[in-house]
Amino acid sequence: MNKKVLTEQSLYYGDVSMPEHWEIDRVELVHHILHSSLTNEKLQFSKTYDKLNTYIRDFIGVKHNINLVNKSTWGNIYKPNETTIPLLNIDPVDLRNSPDFTMLYGVKVKDCNIKIYYDDNRRKGRSWDIELKNNMFIMFPSTNMYYITNNQKDNLNFVQTITYEYI
Amino acid sequence: MAHFAKISENKEVLTVLTLNNSDMLNAEGVEDETVGQQYLETHNNWPAQMWIQTSYNTSGNQHRDGGTAFRGNYAGIGYTWDEDDNIFWPKKPYASWVKYNAEARWQSPIGDSPDNLTDEEKAAGTHYMWDEVGQSWDKTFEA
Repeated sequence: MNKKVLTEQSLYYGDVSMPEHWEIDRVELVHHILHSSLTNEKLQFSKTYDKLNTYIRDFIGVKHNINLVNKSTWGNIYKPNETTIPLLNIDPVDLRNSPDFTMLYGVKVKDCNIKIYYDDNRRKGRSWDIELKNNMFIMFPSTNMYYITNNQKDNLNFVQTITYEYI
Repeated sequence: MAHFAKISENKEVLTVLTLNNSDMLNAEGVEDETVGQQYLETHNNWPAQMWIQTSYNTSGNQHRDGGTAFRGNYAGIGYTWDEDDNIFWPKKPYASWVKYNAEARWQSPIGDSPDNLTDEEKAAGTHYMWDEVGQSWDKTFEA
């Protein structure tokens, strides 16, 4: 008896464990997200962003043999008790130019919950919840719809998103 | 052109980059690994001591052009940097295999496979395969 896996929906998550004294400067990323939100400009390129992006690409490559190419990046600020609208980073009528993976990074977050929806064959609309913590990333297929919830009433949550294609 | 492996804290090779030889010259105009490491730290956001020079022409502790072998093997993604033996190791093929430093490769605990196949057997596709459970080299036939 044989088995062939035709498709796989995998989520990759964990801490961004940079070498000592080379940690991601999350305060700088907060500044960039704030600046981008206030000016409506694209996120500034910075060494800190490059460190984060390179870490994800290197480790996903070596641990899971997936070669990632950047598509886009942006930062979001979520107000206390805010739940986003359903988020989907692909364009269903332009899949050719849509990303393969969405990566969320906890820049400055507290009680930040991510709910990712998926179909398991006949069992449609299932979801998986995970708490996004500071300096943690979650990467999942961009075809999966998701919500981000700020579950507390005192702080803003800052989340950086990077989308990738794989080759 | 010089090559440097970027290693993780677990000594695993994450990627290998090339560097112009002119970017690793010290004050005396001599190629110096530490200068290359510093250059890579500045331009690639990763600590200098976690960039290790590797030789494109070295494999199995032999230099392709007959020169001096350098650090066992040319580093590849997923290889492991062994500071004590000064060798880049490929992934271990079987749990029981041990390091054979002289040739910078993994070897079964009972040595290499026997070299006793006849020409007919070789032509027919017979070869030895390692049996990890039985800890032995077994003849296998693949058409």
